[in-house]
Amino acid sequence: MPNQNGSLYGLTILSPIIDDENATPSHDLQIRDYLAQLSTREDSPFAMAPGTHLARLVVMDDVIYVGMPSCEEHLKSKYLVFESNCDGDLDTYLGGLADAIPTHLDGIWGHCVGYPKQGAADRQAFIHYMKACQLETTFYFAAVNDKSVPATLKALQIQTAVADFIASHQGADPATLQREFIDFAAHLRAQPAPPPGSLGPHRTIETGGHNE
Amino acid sequence: MSKLNASDIQGFVLRGYNLPVARYLFLRLEDAKRGRYLVRRLLGQITTGQRWDGGKPSVTLNIGFTFRGLERLELPLATLITFPVEFQQGMKQRAGILNDTGINAPDHWDPLWRDEHVHVWLGINGQSVEALDSCQAAVQLALDETGGATLLATQEAAAKVVDGAPTTAEHFGFTDGFGNPEYLGVERSSQPGQGKLLDDGKTWAPLATGELLLGYADEAGELPVAPVPHLLASNGTFMVYRKLHQNLATFREWLDQQSASYGGGKEKLAAKLIGRWRDGTPIELSPDAPDFPMTQDPNRSTNFTYAADAAGTRCPMGAHIRRVHPRDAFGFNGKLINRRRITRRGLPYGSFASEDQPVADTDDRGVIFMALNASISRQFEFVQQQWIQYGNDSHLGNDKDALMGNHGGHGRLVIQGDATPANPPFVCSHLPDFVELRGGDYFFLPSITALGMIAMELVDPR
Repeated sequence: MPNQNGSLYGLTILSPIIDDENATPSHDLQIRDYLAQLSTREDSPFAMAPGTHLARLVVMDDVIYVGMPSCEEHLKSKYLVFESNCDGDLDTYLGGLADAIPTHLDGIWGHCVGYPKQGAADRQAFIHYMKACQLETTFYFAAVNDKSVPATLKALQIQTAVADFIASHQGADPATLQREFIDFAAHLRAQPAPPPGSLGPHRTIETGGHNE
Repeated sequence: MSKLNASDIQGFVLRGYNLPVARYLFLRLEDAKRGRYLVRRLLGQITTGQRWDGGKPSVTLNIGFTFRGLERLELPLATLITFPVEFQQGMKQRAGILNDTGINAPDHWDPLWRDEHVHVWLGINGQSVEALDSCQAAVQLALDETGGATLLATQEAAAKVVDGAPTTAEHFGFTDGFGNPEYLGVERSSQPGQGKLLDDGKTWAPLATGELLLGYADEAGELPVAPVPHLLASNGTFMVYRKLHQNLATFREWLDQQSASYGGGKEKLAAKLIGRWRDGTPIELSPDAPDFPMTQDPNRSTNFTYAADAAGTRCPMGAHIRRVHPRDAFGFNGKLINRRRITRRGLPYGSFASEDQPVADTDDRGVIFMALNASISRQFEFVQQQWIQYGNDSHLGNDKDALMGNHGGHGRLVIQGDATPANPPFVCSHLPDFVELRGGDYFFLPSITALGMIAMELVDPR
């Protein structure tokens, strides 16, 4: 099964984490610490960079022994797993990450084996590194209707605005309705799409795993 | 099928007593030894789930403990730490997760819930206030003689009585109490629509016992998360207690104002909000008018699905009963909801006001909401967080449940409609808060055996 489904790309990257017994705290803990500080809203790095529908980062330490009759197995390394549902083409997406959030990328992948010396500042080396760590994605969350991130955000914006327009114009006479709808539609068309990560419910807790 | 020992399960867990009045007593335990002595004194008076072959008793008594109460009774630490985290935290600390914020935040709760630590809930249901009084007097005697606990507060509750018979009406004028699930092994007259849907999408069967009671397999075929030892948990359950104040004046004013521009009229708007006409007729089955005989017919009153109404033109997707009990609305013949069901007990409090009687939001009236479930986080908290305070599962974006949502003046309810003049699409915006939380907590309702173990200091986690 391919990585691509329509315009949506299912990216899976598995990066071995540096195993250095002299590092304190260890590199895997430093990644965990960095990830735990990241926002899940507009200021998430994956909202600031273009093209991400959904991204997940996981530090995978080892395979857990589950008891008989399973045999005891271990990974050769600790890994950082990066899964992203993004707008394909892959080079454009990875290049977009390198351009928009180089500091974050270095803060995360800088703890991984083989990461470019110059970090994401070396755009080509970064893309090459990420692709070298790529696995084929065989099955992924595909609930975005084959629309790009900007198109999805625009659609959500239109849905919200039209719902508000309907709510505030119920019972209006046809002439008023038409006139105001024309204005409304022109105004809406001119609006920029809302930023990624901004349309969720405003809750007092974040669903980043800290509170639930 | 699970064979239940009804005499070991608290009666309140197995059945709605359908008694007209109730009083809830909230206690603070004074110390472990005297507290245990008090539990032992009350043990023989706790109403079990045994059948009432000789007719209903005049009064019933049931008991539950908060986590702090169990700590005060000095259950072994190895037992205490095995209780689910949400129960250990209690409802106040779960406010963020439950969206009990703004006007519903703990700072606005009644002093009992805001400032005190409730350890014990005693539920007295009765035929009359005199019966409640005599039961409370017996409890008070036990408190005085053992010195085990102090009575912090009481809460009265009562059904609306019409022609001498208790009803299930609530203050907004709706008939309530249709939706409780059935469970395997619980003896109860069975009716379609109250358990889970089977693969054919039409037949209903009881839910696994472990969705209600600890110690039995649940809908995943697993034992619910429960404290050790097994005997302490088995035949017990968790109860969510929430005092929900109802802003009746706001509700009436809103309904009058909105229905003035709604083509279906006032009563249909009220029905669209809830999913049932005020007399209880499901709008899914009878979209144009109430049908009282249907509400009295157990083969029809809860026997419906939403598969043929995917667009919500009969019962809106945001109607209260469709949100909190979606049946098959999410597809897969309802399989996605079988682990999210709760059993509701509870009664209204405060005086009932007829339609022509003036009312104010400050009048003390509302409903004592009590929900029983094996897992508070998986069942009650999920329903509250995802289906009441959020709309994604119902394809309603960020909209909250119109009736129960914590709107802060920004709520919205979309009523889907069709091209007929009597059923137009309609959007209600700037929804006010019809209901406000005034406090509550999470309680463990042990089995009769477990109560005895607590009383006799026999809880042994090893």
